[in-house]
Amino acid sequence: MRYKSGYDFSYKLSVGHVAWILHRLSGLALIFYLGLHIWVISHLNAGAESFNKVMAFLNTPLFKILEIGLWGVILYHVLNGIRLLLIDFAGGARYHKKLFWVAFFLVIILTILGAIPFLHHLHVLGGK
Amino acid sequence: MRKTFRRSGNSGAIAWFFHRLTAIYLAVVLLVHFAVMHFIGDGVLTYDKVAARLVSPGWKVLDILFLYTGLYHGLYGLWNLLEDYIHNAFWRAFIYFILSFGGFALVTLGTITIVNFRG
Repeated sequence: MRYKSGYDFSYKLSVGHVAWILHRLSGLALIFYLGLHIWVISHLNAGAESFNKVMAFLNTPLFKILEIGLWGVILYHVLNGIRLLLIDFAGGARYHKKLFWVAFFLVIILTILGAIPFLHHLHVLGGK
Repeated sequence: MRKTFRRSGNSGAIAWFFHRLTAIYLAVVLLVHFAVMHFIGDGVLTYDKVAARLVSPGWKVLDILFLYTGLYHGLYGLWNLLEDYIHNAFWRAFIYFILSFGGFALVTLGTITIVNFRG
């Protein structure tokens, strides 16, 4: 694609580029979650009743499933973040593609492992 | 290089480095935080369970650091992202103001929540 400025512009979606897009998207999701999270937890100051009311709303199957997604997003941002730290400070640029695949498979495995307790909680909630 | 070139007093290098430092703290504490909340115990969060931790000064310090590093890291990252796509000087200043104001509000709300908590 050619812009008026004359620069050629193309997305070839190399490994590093996909890693960068996913890091931005996961980061965007996490800062919005953090804002909401701080507001939800601020209900602590209104006393036990107010806080438990909010928690009862969140201890539902829908949010348990969303939390599995949150866990996956956190894992990607943390593990790819470690990859970025290695690139910035430990010469990781030479093997950044391998590092991405290591991070990628760890994200998949740890997301599945982390989903087990959530699904168990879901089962407990469903059994009530 | 032009003779008139002057090194800027604000290269952003310190902010960049602090983003990496906070990343290290967050990587460790966030995973511990998530595990304590969701993997240890029955996964049903209540006031009493939160209160049991938050009355101790150790957890308060850890959580306040968590709050500040998390907000710094997140807002710095968000600003970096927006800076890449918003080039108009007015909108940049506007977004920067919104992020600063939002950050200040969340720091205040979070600090009050943690410090004021008596159990």
